[in-house]
Amino acid sequence: MTKMYEEMTVAEGNSRGDLATRGRTATGRTPARVFVGMSGGVDSSVAAMLLLNQGYDVTGIYMKNWSRDLPGMKCPWAEDLADAKRVAVKLGIPFEVWDFEDAYREKVVEYMLREFKAGNTPNPDVMCNQEIKFKLFYEKAMARGADFIATGHYARKIDGKLARAVDENKDQTYFLYRISKEALEHTLFPIGEMLKPDVKKLAEKNGLHNAYKKESMGVCFVGEVGMKDFLKEYIDIAPGEIREAETEKVLGYHEGAVFYTIGQRHGLYLSGEKGAVNDGLPYYVVRKDLAHNIVYVSKNLNHSAIWTKELKLKDVFLRGYLSEARVLVRLRHRAPLVPAKFDGETLTFESEIKRPASGQSAVLYDGEICLGGGIII
Amino acid sequence: MIYLDHAAATPMSDKVIEAMRPYFSHDFFNPSAAYLPAKKVAADYEAAKATIAHAIGAKAADLVITAGATEANNLAFNGISRVLYLETEHDSVREVAKQRGGVAIKVLRSGLIDLEDLKAKITDETELISVALVNGEIGVIQPLAEIAAIIREVRLDRLRRGIKTRLLLHSDASQALNLLDVSVARLGVDLLTLNAAKIYGPKGVGALYASHEAKLSPAIIGGGQENGLRSGTENVPGVIGFAKAIELAKEHLNGNRKKYAELKRTLLANLQGYELIVKKHQLDNFVNLCYNGIDGERLVFLLEDHEIYVATGAACAASKGEKSHVLKAIGLSDSEIAGSLRLTLGETNTKEQLEEAARVINEVVAKEQRRLYD
Repeated sequence: MTKMYEEMTVAEGNSRGDLATRGRTATGRTPARVFVGMSGGVDSSVAAMLLLNQGYDVTGIYMKNWSRDLPGMKCPWAEDLADAKRVAVKLGIPFEVWDFEDAYREKVVEYMLREFKAGNTPNPDVMCNQEIKFKLFYEKAMARGADFIATGHYARKIDGKLARAVDENKDQTYFLYRISKEALEHTLFPIGEMLKPDVKKLAEKNGLHNAYKKESMGVCFVGEVGMKDFLKEYIDIAPGEIREAETEKVLGYHEGAVFYTIGQRHGLYLSGEKGAVNDGLPYYVVRKDLAHNIVYVSKNLNHSAIWTKELKLKDVFLRGYLSEARVLVRLRHRAPLVPAKFDGETLTFESEIKRPASGQSAVLYDGEICLGGGIII
Repeated sequence: MIYLDHAAATPMSDKVIEAMRPYFSHDFFNPSAAYLPAKKVAADYEAAKATIAHAIGAKAADLVITAGATEANNLAFNGISRVLYLETEHDSVREVAKQRGGVAIKVLRSGLIDLEDLKAKITDETELISVALVNGEIGVIQPLAEIAAIIREVRLDRLRRGIKTRLLLHSDASQALNLLDVSVARLGVDLLTLNAAKIYGPKGVGALYASHEAKLSPAIIGGGQENGLRSGTENVPGVIGFAKAIELAKEHLNGNRKKYAELKRTLLANLQGYELIVKKHQLDNFVNLCYNGIDGERLVFLLEDHEIYVATGAACAASKGEKSHVLKAIGLSDSEIAGSLRLTLGETNTKEQLEEAARVINEVVAKEQRRLYD
């Protein structure tokens, strides 16, 4: 075993606090049983390896959530499954495939399509964690006699509370803020103390073949295709007008209003005489009229639709330790934390912020601790 | 490396590569062009086709060159609407047959065709029966001549009763060419699929033999190459390589059979705790093992660490995460299917390799057993 490996193991061991001893056989107790979700990527592979090294009784599970190919993109599920299994075999742990395709379609995909149709920009990863990984997977694991579940998420638990990962660049608590408290109590995040480059190095040192596997970006199953192509497959869309908000003048045409979010700058295929319509200044989406399929744009970067000091939230989910009104807010994955006041429904910022798309999440923090969050209206 | 997956792919032999080389550069001309150097390439291409055709007792004019066996299988079914196919066929037959009103013929536990089921399923509308000479997953050799005899009876009967529907026999012989003496007349087939990639030739080159009875419909339309049945500029180097590969296969036919039979004996003598899935009527280079209760795919990954490469089932079925329809058809239980390994021997293998492979396989099987039962 390399020195680096040991160091990292110790660091991880500390983060589990009072639960740390449960994984060890040296105490004479039966090792605690962990079902770890293995996606075939390096993060969950290293998570499984660390747990095994800490003495847990580890079983690897591949969650089969989506397997359909999309135009221009072969769904990589079979390769991902093989990668996950190859690692499990290398570690010498049992491995199973749990099929959640029907539930995923119902709880995640249909939610996503519904939201897009309503003009919002939903976050399916938040829903997937809430409904699949930390609900169905958790419940099934518990029913199978697990003491814990584990994932390769970059997140930590501090005194049992959901907390930001050490690797600030990879922190995934933005996607985890809605997972149930009960599931979190029985969850381990073995790589939450590690930096991504170290995870890769550790994988390579231990001969895991997927150490440098290309990361899946964005919504896992949409992958490289992009949300637009995915939506085209599932939502009836019609081209419509792009109008200037101030003048109602038709500036061009769009492929479908659902593809646009308020504040968006790119992708406006504006036609017209150069100089007359487009003087080189960019246009921003400021309003969508879904009933008439019209997208309104403006050159006014200071348009009131783009900037706001307040955000109203719905479906607020608090993790139970919000103690004061002052919070830090993250409005997008990897976006910087901004201070705000929260009254249980409305976020009030110190200065104007660029309005995030409705349907996205606002996630609240007190230092490293994730307090919960809500869906932006 | 010990490569034991020759049914999935074979390395091109040096002689094949050498034969192909000039046609990538020096003799690159389009065979359809008018000038003499191009005509020379056209002549070489035709000669290569003749070599391939002669190897199966046919004429060059009866061959349609394709980009592999899948395309040849597809072409064989083109324009035909009533099909019978063996339930253990490759997907390139099964999936097309299903679109052509295909009805599956059952196999026996031995993997051999159930001839009674075949007889029962032939109707006056049946136009084509497709049975692979050698199954790609289990290496079972089908009694094509017996099937052909049944077909002849049906044809005679149709003639007597004035039924004009023709009845053809198609066979995919991809796996067979370097171990069986394949002759279209002896097999009694009207359509035969060939594949260069399984006999140490290039990938993406195959052929469909079609008798005059077959009356194929073109699958790819364009410049009219391959008698108008498969348009597109000829793959000259591919066909030259195919010809060389089939020539070598013919030359080494008897030697190969002896060699593989011996290697197989060595392997089985050194392996422990397995059951043989196929005991008879199997191509000499196929070994199908079953370790009931163990996950064959885990064994594949464990062996991979020792640079020993084997398969669980056909490569394409495995990559889709599907259970082998072939093993299911011959009556294996789910746990027997899960515990199956396919080892296919080839020119790269030696006796020492198989002794070593057996030793490592025994070791990883024992490791998995310890993990499961200790």
